[in-house]
Amino acid sequence: MKTWLVLFRKEWLEMIRNYKVIWIPLAFVLFGLLQPITSYYMPEILKNAGNLPNGAVIKIPIPLSGEVLAQTLGQYNQMGILVLVLAFMGIIASERKSGMTKAILVKPVGYSSYITAKWTSAVLLSAGAIFLSMAASWYYTVLLIGDFPFMNVVKGASIFFIWILFLITLTVFFSSFLKSSGLVAAFTLLLSILVTLLTSLLGKWMEWSPYQLTNAAATLFTAGRIEGPFLLPLITTVILTVLLLSLAATRKSNS
Amino acid sequence: MNFHINWALVAPIIAIQAILVIIALIDLSKTEKTNGPKWMWVLIILFLEVLGPISYFIIGRKQS
Amino acid sequence: MEVRSLTKSFGKHVAVNDLSFSIEKGHCVALLGANGAGKTTTLEMLSGLQQPTNGSVSFGDVHKGDYREYIGYLPQHPVFFPWMNGMEYLVFMGELSGLSKTKASTRANELLERLGIADAGKRKVGGYSGGMKQRLGIAQALIHEPKLLMLDEPVSALDPVGRREILELMKLLKETTTILFSTHILHDAEEVCDDVIMIHKGKLAITGSVSELRRKHQEDVIIISAEANLGAWARSIEDWNTVSKVKSTHNTVEIYVKNAAEARRQLLAEIAERQLPITSFTVAQTSLEDLFMEVVGK
Repeated sequence: MKTWLVLFRKEWLEMIRNYKVIWIPLAFVLFGLLQPITSYYMPEILKNAGNLPNGAVIKIPIPLSGEVLAQTLGQYNQMGILVLVLAFMGIIASERKSGMTKAILVKPVGYSSYITAKWTSAVLLSAGAIFLSMAASWYYTVLLIGDFPFMNVVKGASIFFIWILFLITLTVFFSSFLKSSGLVAAFTLLLSILVTLLTSLLGKWMEWSPYQLTNAAATLFTAGRIEGPFLLPLITTVILTVLLLSLAATRKSNS
Repeated sequence: MNFHINWALVAPIIAIQAILVIIALIDLSKTEKTNGPKWMWVLIILFLEVLGPISYFIIGRKQS
Repeated sequence: MEVRSLTKSFGKHVAVNDLSFSIEKGHCVALLGANGAGKTTTLEMLSGLQQPTNGSVSFGDVHKGDYREYIGYLPQHPVFFPWMNGMEYLVFMGELSGLSKTKASTRANELLERLGIADAGKRKVGGYSGGMKQRLGIAQALIHEPKLLMLDEPVSALDPVGRREILELMKLLKETTTILFSTHILHDAEEVCDDVIMIHKGKLAITGSVSELRRKHQEDVIIISAEANLGAWARSIEDWNTVSKVKSTHNTVEIYVKNAAEARRQLLAEIAERQLPITSFTVAQTSLEDLFMEVVGK
């Protein structure tokens, strides 16, 4: 436990020194603010941009608060995931490549502590980034568009974060045995796109899919309550996450 | 053309962008080697707005 | 440390084959072998980084299990976090070894001082020279006062100055710590160590103390150079009973002899009698290098 804390502190020191602690949350806050602002200004932007005939009446309704927040999740699912996966692709792979992993493991350190300290740091930083960003998005939405219960934002963000947790665990998993960070990112992103696509295309067969958690969170925003599958994807996602993490944390004989 | 912008709303966004640009430039000035020439990264950070600093942090820094 | 029939194979390739030896407390032992002989694999198995395919390692009272806290290890290419300074790195490694933060800092200061890089402690490791990195690497290996210090090719990557520094350092360290280090340069082993383990293609070739090996394998040799080719003459002395072996190349003849004094007298007389146009006449001893070459070459 003591060495786990030492490793955990080292991860944070590293993330402070390479500014991940600052730029990842800030980038997320930007993604979060983008949606309410563009939704609010969209009618004006279109009015000024289009070569519309004089006298044409444009009616573009400003979306509801809940819709804007649901669209914010869409931002995270594109830019957000890309940023997180790329930021954490080398979390283990780069240390394995440089030989740092060996230097650490000759000390009396458990391999699983080494992996889980990294995993926990990545999870906490991403959680901080997403919740901060979601709060900022909520604040702008309330200001520009209309009131929305904050508790629902917290619930929705929590549900959505489980899907992100799964993707981060996938990144850590690939990073634990692939030596190239680029490959880690490629595999993780490919898989996340595949899961997303299949879930949208074959909804009926993919009710267990972790991506359903995004839908669950989005409906919580738009309809005020969760619609569609929730418990099943929650269970499979938790099981998959635990499985991937324990696979990653089990030492391979020739690592 | 009476495009009305509420600066109180936009100011935080500009501030965040500025912070990202500044820390990216600070980091760039401290590191010895980047992937690709340094001047190119200076341009990317300054002119690509949000994506500039982020792409610098992700692919510009040498992860040694 | 007792090593019994240690074996490691990667698929069909056997990197280390049935290696057995022991390391006595307080000794300095060199693991000697050509590149690719299996030195790094052996050390990594001893340090717990790789699981042996077969065989066992016992350390003091620990027969099966984790003895990592008793060893310090310097990898062949020591790596650091470029964003940490020397001091932070040592404290980090010290804490990983189970020291408290205060104990780790005290030890780190001590070691930086002792290894002569005290002023580098506050600098980012990214800017260190090769010799300094090696010192910092040794410092991190020593941070928890291990019972055994293992160094993988500690001087191979260094320039002559750095190499001398590290060898001197190792001479100091062996006063207080048991050392096992690998090298492909026999001279370094001879200079620093008491015992040598020579391995070749993953197998144990020769083991013993340096002085014992010298005594057993050392021969007197007389080397004669001349202005003319002495090949024909060299063959004529091959059956002298003081001579055990003759090697001749161009104008130089190496004569391995059983009794240096006797042989020198006879050879000088012979040279005078035949009026050989010699340019030099040297009485020497074969080095362990010759033994090493013989082992590696076979």
